Amino acid sequence: MTVRTFVLAVVGMSPLFLGAPAPSAQELTERFIPVGQSPGLSGKATVIGKIQAINARDQTVTIAGPAGTWSAKVTERTKIWLDRSMSRKTNLTGTFSDLRQGLTVEVKPDGSQRGAQSGPAEWIKVQIPPSP
Amino acid sequence: MRARELMWIAVLCAVAGLSACKTAPPPDRQSQLVAKGQDLFFNETFGGNGRTCGTCHPAENNFTIDPAFIATLPKDNPLFVAEFNPALKENFENPALMREFGLIQENLDGFDDLKNKFVMRGVPHTLGLRTSVQSPGGPRTGWSGDGAPGDGSLRSFATGAVIQHFTKTLNRVPGVDFRLPTEEELDALEAFQLSLGRQQDLALPLPLKGTVPKRGQEIFLDNKLGKCNICHVNAGATANFPGRGPLGNANFNTGVEDLPDQPARLTGKRVPRDDGFRTPGDGTFNVPPLVEAADSGPFFHNNAIETIEGAVAFYDGESFNKSPAGQALAKADPEGAGIELDGTQIVAIAAFLRVINVLENIRQSVVLLETSLAVSSSAERRRLLERAVHETDDSIRVLSGGGLHADAVAHLQEARRLADKAVRSVFFGRKYTEKAIRDQKRARAFLVD
Repeated sequence: MTVRTFVLAVVGMSPLFLGAPAPSAQELTERFIPVGQSPGLSGKATVIGKIQAINARDQTVTIAGPAGTWSAKVTERTKIWLDRSMSRKTNLTGTFSDLRQGLTVEVKPDGSQRGAQSGPAEWIKVQIPPSP
Repeated sequence: MRARELMWIAVLCAVAGLSACKTAPPPDRQSQLVAKGQDLFFNETFGGNGRTCGTCHPAENNFTIDPAFIATLPKDNPLFVAEFNPALKENFENPALMREFGLIQENLDGFDDLKNKFVMRGVPHTLGLRTSVQSPGGPRTGWSGDGAPGDGSLRSFATGAVIQHFTKTLNRVPGVDFRLPTEEELDALEAFQLSLGRQQDLALPLPLKGTVPKRGQEIFLDNKLGKCNICHVNAGATANFPGRGPLGNANFNTGVEDLPDQPARLTGKRVPRDDGFRTPGDGTFNVPPLVEAADSGPFFHNNAIETIEGAVAFYDGESFNKSPAGQALAKADPEGAGIELDGTQIVAIAAFLRVINVLENIRQSVVLLETSLAVSSSAERRRLLERAVHETDDSIRVLSGGGLHADAVAHLQEARRLADKAVRSVFFGRKYTEKAIRDQKRARAFLVD
């Protein structure tokens, strides 16, 4: 990564961490909201991108988005949801093993992680592409 | 004679038309947004099971529902969708608890086990939200403050409501079972909801006239006796806890879930414990405003208590005084006392709450009546007048139910009669409306200086 791309990445992702996210939302209906459509969050306080790398030992997943990369730590509190709305199917609860390289995900950082390039995730939505 | 009558009608119509042109300025951007939000709130089903926001938050019933209102609805009302849509027959609502206690099913702790993981909650009204939603701890929506997905804001609330309550099937697939509100629709719905009811808190004490309500206000404000003003500053939804200062709209565990003989549980139906805020919950619920309370019962998140007197009495009981909030109040008291009230004091506080509720109803009624004089659309005029009639009905019921201010009730009854005549009158609506406003103000003068 060049200095220029690093600066662009930090600037691009800074809006994510300028304000502390709301302490708690009714995240359980969040499960049914497709990737990129969470009101007040998507594009502001979440990271959307493709899974670049997965580290099962550390339970981390690296996401490459338009503004750079972000490393999400999956904790026991992290909720993983499988967004199957593209197939017009109900969204499901997933597990770490559902995270696969190349899949598009949306990650909500847990709490305020101002300026961080990594941190625990509150939830991760995995976009499941329709079967061919 | 017939020709003269027709001519007279034509002249009146022309005058009315010109008058309408004169009194209806073009709506500003905010008014347009509110109007759009109103239309969405009452008419938009978001491609779902037929429910709208107004299904559970009807304007004619203080934007909430209760068993008495539910009993007036036809069988095919979308509120009862679980009774006639086979896909929603199981694990969506409990029709018996809905009809008997006004309870709605919510899956606040997840959708993985619909049969066992749910809570039964009343429908909170949506009045005075501008004074209650924003808080230093983040936005507070719904009974436990966490009613919205996304950023948890009132703006996002509609998205969660559509997913929970509007779906055609329990699959809850966007684009199939419902459509999600657009960004513009969320803006409009938020603007409309924030426009409802009070836009600011009261400044207590009020110069009340009635002996008992006046004493009730004193007890309410007494931080050593009623202690009500600690968590309901100015009878609103913000707390100012001793030693902790202003908290905004805060969450407390007041022990409502520990009440014995809760009506819904008396039926023998399964009603899981409601753990409140977050998942898993911490047992707390956020503070509702009290100004709107007296005419929007039943009370508490589980509709456990029917009357405002009963709701006040709850704070004198064991469930509250043993709860974390009750214990904290006692700890903050120099003598370690919780809330200890006698029957007369409970009734006095309730009388105070009844009076401030009626003062707010009168304020709203006057605004509705005055606005009806300025609108050009006859349908809109009718809607405003009908809402004023409903508000006035509430005022009469709330005062009469507490045996309060018979003199004010007489004026409210006259105001109601006049507003009702204004609804039905083609030519004299303005006159009746103006008279109704005068009677509302006369009634108010009996309540407060």
